[in-house]
Amino acid sequence: MSDSVITVSELTRRFGTTTALASVTLSMPRGAVYGLVGANGAGKTTLIKHILGLLRAETGSVRVFGLDPVADPVGVLSRVGYLSEENDLPGWMRVDELIRYSRAFYPAWDDGYAEELRQTFALDSTAKVRNLSRGQKARLGLLIALAHRPELLVLDEPSSGLDPLVRRDIVGAVIRTIAHEGRTVLLSSHLLEEVEQVADHVTMINHGRVVLSGPLDAIKESHRVDGRVPSLDEIFVALVGTPAAPTRDA
Amino acid sequence: MRSPAAAIAWEFRQRHRWGLIGVASYLVVIATIKLLVLGGQPVNLESAESFAFAVVVPMTATFMYSLAVFSFGLAGDLAGRQSMYPARMFTLPVTTAALVGWPMLYGSAAMVILWMATRLLAVWPAGVHVPSVWPGVLAAALLAWTQALTWMPYGLAGVRVIAAMLWLATIDAIVLLAIHYNTSETAMVAGLAPLVPLAYLAARFAVARARRGDVPDWRGGFARPGHRTDFWVSRRGRFSSAARAQAWFEWRRHGRSLPAAVGILLPFELALLWVADNTPVLVFEIMLAVLLTPPFMAAFAAATVRKSNPGAGDSNGVTPFIATRPLTNAALIAATLRATIRSTGAAWLLVLVAVPLALTLSDTWPMVSERARQVSDAVGAPRVIALAVLVGAGLMASTWKLLVQSLYIGLTGRAWLIKGSVFLTLSALFLLGPIAQWLIDNDRLGELWSALPLLLAILVCVKTIAAVWVAARLYRGRLVSDRMLVTGAACWCVAVLGLYGALVWLLDSPDMPRYVLALLAILAIPLARLSAAPLALAWNRHR
Repeated sequence: MSDSVITVSELTRRFGTTTALASVTLSMPRGAVYGLVGANGAGKTTLIKHILGLLRAETGSVRVFGLDPVADPVGVLSRVGYLSEENDLPGWMRVDELIRYSRAFYPAWDDGYAEELRQTFALDSTAKVRNLSRGQKARLGLLIALAHRPELLVLDEPSSGLDPLVRRDIVGAVIRTIAHEGRTVLLSSHLLEEVEQVADHVTMINHGRVVLSGPLDAIKESHRVDGRVPSLDEIFVALVGTPAAPTRDA
Repeated sequence: MRSPAAAIAWEFRQRHRWGLIGVASYLVVIATIKLLVLGGQPVNLESAESFAFAVVVPMTATFMYSLAVFSFGLAGDLAGRQSMYPARMFTLPVTTAALVGWPMLYGSAAMVILWMATRLLAVWPAGVHVPSVWPGVLAAALLAWTQALTWMPYGLAGVRVIAAMLWLATIDAIVLLAIHYNTSETAMVAGLAPLVPLAYLAARFAVARARRGDVPDWRGGFARPGHRTDFWVSRRGRFSSAARAQAWFEWRRHGRSLPAAVGILLPFELALLWVADNTPVLVFEIMLAVLLTPPFMAAFAAATVRKSNPGAGDSNGVTPFIATRPLTNAALIAATLRATIRSTGAAWLLVLVAVPLALTLSDTWPMVSERARQVSDAVGAPRVIALAVLVGAGLMASTWKLLVQSLYIGLTGRAWLIKGSVFLTLSALFLLGPIAQWLIDNDRLGELWSALPLLLAILVCVKTIAAVWVAARLYRGRLVSDRMLVTGAACWCVAVLGLYGALVWLLDSPDMPRYVLALLAILAIPLARLSAAPLALAWNRHR
């Protein structure tokens, strides 16, 4: 079996006249935390949608666990935990209903772990999803993404607009996931400090093109300025020209 | 745009420009017919069908469309508790009076203008007195109350539909009574006009309440019965499979719409048995209406079933939550089909329980059983039973078919395709009346009857070609397994043969050749459109 969990080759995607992804090629190693960074509209979510099979590769190819996510959605999605920025959990369900519903899809669902996460996140099992706060919804989404102990955890801008406590939970989830040997995390974010905190590898996308990709330490080393190791934020500004998250919470 | 009034007007115009262009085109067409084609000559439209299809149906469709547009009903959850007034507008720096007043004013003005244009431009039957003003005022009042009732937050899901149906039906009933008693135009206007400001006050109260987030909650007393509906869950409190969990999801999401709608209408229909005064014709007409209620309501409920994302009013795409379920497209469709079967069953269970109960309580049961006995004596008990079973099964099957037959359009998630299909269907319906009238007027029914086998054969060919194309696409795309394809085809063949056998047994006569029955059986059993549903979902899910 290949050591890459995700392999993207020459992926190009256009929406009308806009090129969302241009010849993107990347390979994501197993057991690593992979940071996908870029400004808003850079193409991060489009790339993730291809990885999940929500977009069909028009040009190039996408393989996850060696499988085509469009041709074999069950084979891919049953091994993936996904938390999206949109967090479109069905509002009409109660928390316990959503947990019961979700567990039916994943043979590896761990009831004990789900309950542990529910208590850690202080989620009331009788509460309706629509009545939860944004942070609680993010925690519930995280619970659903983690409780089947996925081989690949995909987090698409999970911290956007969330308070520091929820962001801490998300970072904790990433660390917990990689603590299980062989598990992999794909973390897309424009909060570069957060990515820098947990990622081993970083890919930077700008206007649909990969402008930088490699191990984080190597990237930092190769961008030394006057002997000083720059932050990821500084590298981003240098390469892309604009700060990644100018409105970030204090 | 320099004012909130202009901005609100612009939103209505911009968002619904195609619908408004459609209405304007209709008015231009009827004006052209009246002024240019007929040259202002008096017209004698004796046929009720011609009048209905030329004026009544388009007018009613336009009115219903306007109700949805001006109440923001095309972008909200009609059955939900929350106000359907767009929450994004609550944060605009305008008063609640303006938020309510401008849409209500535009809606009322549109209704009055629509009526005046129709009155002036439509081809009305000769000798019929067409009122000048009051129908326009009635339309404005109905719209204003629809706005007030849809913008009101409610304590329970579904109460909005019941409240709106009851109140609007009450207004209609009062108007019908007034017409019956030949009330003058002035009195009609005087009676109807105050309804608009009253509706404005109610709407202002509703929007003010919604704006401050005041949504009443009466669900406490209903929580336990609601919880009991989870019959998909096993005794251990778990779903036994992913397919069962997804079927539960589909049922909870839109499976209850049809039984709820039938449950709301049935009491009103069956209550008529008490006023039918044991008149056989009336009783059987009421029974016919009751039996046609589930398929009729299914046509409306289908709009929610076929929508892949009913939670989001103007979004037709599959939500990432559903799209990332580790299920095949065929399994997702199968869950929808299972939920619709249960939905159909629940709706018919209501009918089957309510009808004997109502017949017994209204003392009309002896009359119905006597008529059944007479028919049984005339044609034989086995045939009557077989006919009853076939009609019952046919009605149930058609209810289900109406729920699912447009899945292949709705699940594509392409707004242009969905709107285009609605437009084509309505256009076909509008053409059907005049064509039927032309056939009757020109004594062409005999020719049509002679050409029927050929027409049926063409339709069968189209259906077969479409089914083969869909099967090839399903096979090539590996969207369903080979086994499922073969099993599906075999089940379809068995159903067609079964229906053909029943039709031959019941209807075999020299006037009805067996090959016609075979063609009818082939056309009656769903195949191509239903099989295309996984293709549509795949096109939507993997864009």
